[in-house]
Order: sequence, then C-alpha cells, then structure tokens
Amino acid sequence: MQRIVCPERDDWRDTAEACGFDFHTIDGERYWDERGYYAFTLEEIEREIEGPTGEIDAMCLELVSHAVDDEEYLGRLKIPRAYWPLISESWHRDEASLYGRLDLNFDGSGPAKLLEYNADTPTSIFEAAVFQWTWLEQAIERQIIPNAADQFNSVHERLIEGWKKVGQGRHLHLTGTTENAEDAGTLAYLEDTAAQAGLATTMIDIEEIGWRDEGGFVDLDNRDIELVFKLYPWEWMFRDTFGEKLVGAPTRWIEPPWKAVLSNKGILPLLWEMFPGHPNLLPAFFEDDPRAAELGTSFVRKPLYSREGANVALISDGIAFAAQEGPYGAEGFIRQAFATLRPFSNQYPVLGSWLVDHTPCGLSVREDENPITGNTSRFLPHAIL
Amino acid sequence: MKRSRRVVLTMMGTAAVGAVSMGFVGKRDCGPGLTAVPGPDGKPFCRAVHGGFGGTLHHFHGHAHGGHAHGGG
Repeated sequence: MQRIVCPERDDWRDTAEACGFDFHTIDGERYWDERGYYAFTLEEIEREIEGPTGEIDAMCLELVSHAVDDEEYLGRLKIPRAYWPLISESWHRDEASLYGRLDLNFDGSGPAKLLEYNADTPTSIFEAAVFQWTWLEQAIERQIIPNAADQFNSVHERLIEGWKKVGQGRHLHLTGTTENAEDAGTLAYLEDTAAQAGLATTMIDIEEIGWRDEGGFVDLDNRDIELVFKLYPWEWMFRDTFGEKLVGAPTRWIEPPWKAVLSNKGILPLLWEMFPGHPNLLPAFFEDDPRAAELGTSFVRKPLYSREGANVALISDGIAFAAQEGPYGAEGFIRQAFATLRPFSNQYPVLGSWLVDHTPCGLSVREDENPITGNTSRFLPHAIL
Repeated sequence: MKRSRRVVLTMMGTAAVGAVSMGFVGKRDCGPGLTAVPGPDGKPFCRAVHGGFGGTLHHFHGHAHGGHAHGGG
C-alpha cells in the first residue's frame, strides 16, 4: 500500500458538476481530492480487504441471528424495547439489505482491522462507484497513472442488480434530508441505479412522509409508500413522532430494521465476545464491563450511537490526546483497542470496504490529518498497481 | 480484473426540486391522522399528517439547512 502524489485533472471540477457531484467541496474545503491516490497490490485487495470484508459481514450476520431474539443482546445495544419485535420480524422475514460499508484500518503491514460497520446509512457511494472510476479512466488516458492500473470497483453494476432483487417490480420511494447537498447527491445516485434496474421512483424529504390512519405511510400525493430507501438512521426513526407507527405498518424499508443491530458500535464488543482473537477484529468491551480494564489506560472510546467521528476520543495513558465534540453518548460507550495508525505523508487513511447484497465489491479511501475520521475528511481515489 | 466495465448515469445532473405552496387553508375537520390542505379547486381536502420523521435530526443538529445536518454517515 502506498500513497502516491499525482497531478490533478485540470477540468475535474467541471467533470464533477456535469454529473451532479456538486458536493466535491464542502464549506470551501476540499472533499474530493485527487492530488494523490492510494495504490494497492492485487494481493492486498483480494487477501487483505475483499476476503476479510466477506468474512466480517458473515460474522455480523451470525451476530444478528443471535441478537434479534435475545433480550440481553438487544438491551446491551440500547435499542428501545418497543422496536424489538419489528427488528426480529424483519430478520425472520429475510427482508433484503441493499448495501453497507465497513470502515477498516489497514496500512499494508498486517491484517485489516474493523473500526466500525456503517450498515444503515453509509454515504460516499457515488464517489466510490462512479467518480473515482471516472478518475481512473481519465487518469490512464492522460498518463497520470500507469496504463495497467485497475481499481477494486464493481459497485455500480452490483447496485443495479441489487435493486432488481430488492425492488421486485415495486414502486420505490427514496427519502432523506434532501436539503443537504451530500445526502441529496447520494440519494440521486441511488435513484439513478434503481431506475436503471427498471424501478419507478419517487424522491421525498424525510419530513414530508405522511401517515394516513387507515393506510399507513404515504407521500405528498397520498400514494402508499410500499418500499422506501431511507438515508436516515433507524435510531432517529425510533425517536421520531412517527416511530410508533413503524410497528405494523406495511412499508418495507431499505435498509431493513434488522440492520439497526449492526449500525451500532455495541457490535464491536459483541463480535469480540463471539469471535475472540479473530485477526480482523480489535479487542473491544462495553465501558461498564469490568473486562474493559484489559485494554489498560490506552484505548479508543466510542459512543454506541455516533456519526462521522462525533464524540470519539483517543485515550493514551488515561489522557484524551484526540477527541471530536458532538451531541452523542447518552446511551453509553464502548472501548476499543488502538489499531496501529501509520500515517502516509502525515495523513491517516481509513478504508471503506463496500458490500452490495453482501458481496464485497468496492473500496473507498478517506484521509485526514486528524486520526479520527470526520465529515470533512477527504476522499482520495485508489488504484491497483 | 477488479474494475467496473461500464458506468452510465441516466438521471443525475438533471434533478429538479419542486416547491409546494400551501396557500390559505379553509377550516375543515379531517379527523385523526389527517390534516386539511388546499385542493386544486381552492377548497380544502383532507390529507395525511406529515412531518412525523426528521425531528431527531433537528434535536441533534439544530435546524441547519443545507449544512452538516444530514442523515447519511
């Protein structure tokens, strides 16, 4: 694994905006960054990322199969009791998942380590599936990267196939915070792939979803919402006014309710408990577990529910040397052992390994000067050399 | 070979945002789960109650519009 500095395409901003990627720069700061790229060998991709991604996903599904009917597991994950039947029923009905993104620590010197699983509302899918692929093609043409360069990326085709399987000819609604440029762009891309799969689609802001007492969830045209992709997390749905309507409503959600088990950092100690010593896992414990003392005074402290690095703290010898502020942590924290953080040109990369229909199929790389990845961490393309 | 063969976008870059003007709504009792909204002929009709999702986003991130308040992660 290497970080290679390279020239930018002169027209990359025009190219981005022509395909709807208008969040390439956020608050005046670069988000898409092609002043460099991460290079991997094919062996690293296949043996250290693709293979372990499938294995970690399988372990996670095994965890879900235990958790959905276990009050102790669900209680430790702090999932509200009122939604336990919703979660269990969605699992036993085998409700389909479209995609997810594992965040991995990997620097080429040892096995990849799971940092967390963005199982419910992962973003950066457009950048991963489309824009870095466009970069690869144009960078080869312009001799910015070697002619034989490849990329771990079949996300786009697999999303289309995934929609055919998940959609089954139904009308698809897509919802989220449509006023946010990044989320709107992600939703637009997923709508595009769903349309290419032959699904009729309707976009609706999360706040515009309605409830009709005799019918269920509806859109602004009073149309029943039968199947809906949401870029809005389950833990927020459960707290919202309409949360109580979820139980018993005929609507099918992507991602399904059982994914609420995995989009919770509590799975990190649960996975360690189920698969102790696994090479792709880091030791982890709930903060109130006496076994957490095994980590000593140096560890990473993460809220059960948090997003984009908020309220994460790196503790060394009992002192937080890096921490992100935020509004999370009311449900409690977990502690995870440090992964070796090797900087590349003073940047800390985190790998996003994508699964579509439980198949590993793509890679994204985010980097930051800060060892805690956040919303403004830059997205760099990758190549297989 | 690990890379995609072909990436085609058919809709992106052409998204349009529609705005709905609520206008003046005459009084009408719609019952539970429904609210009165202006119809195409200006007369109120009953429509489902909206706005039941999204509250937690604002709880955690205030009422920022177009900023970092978003559901993706």
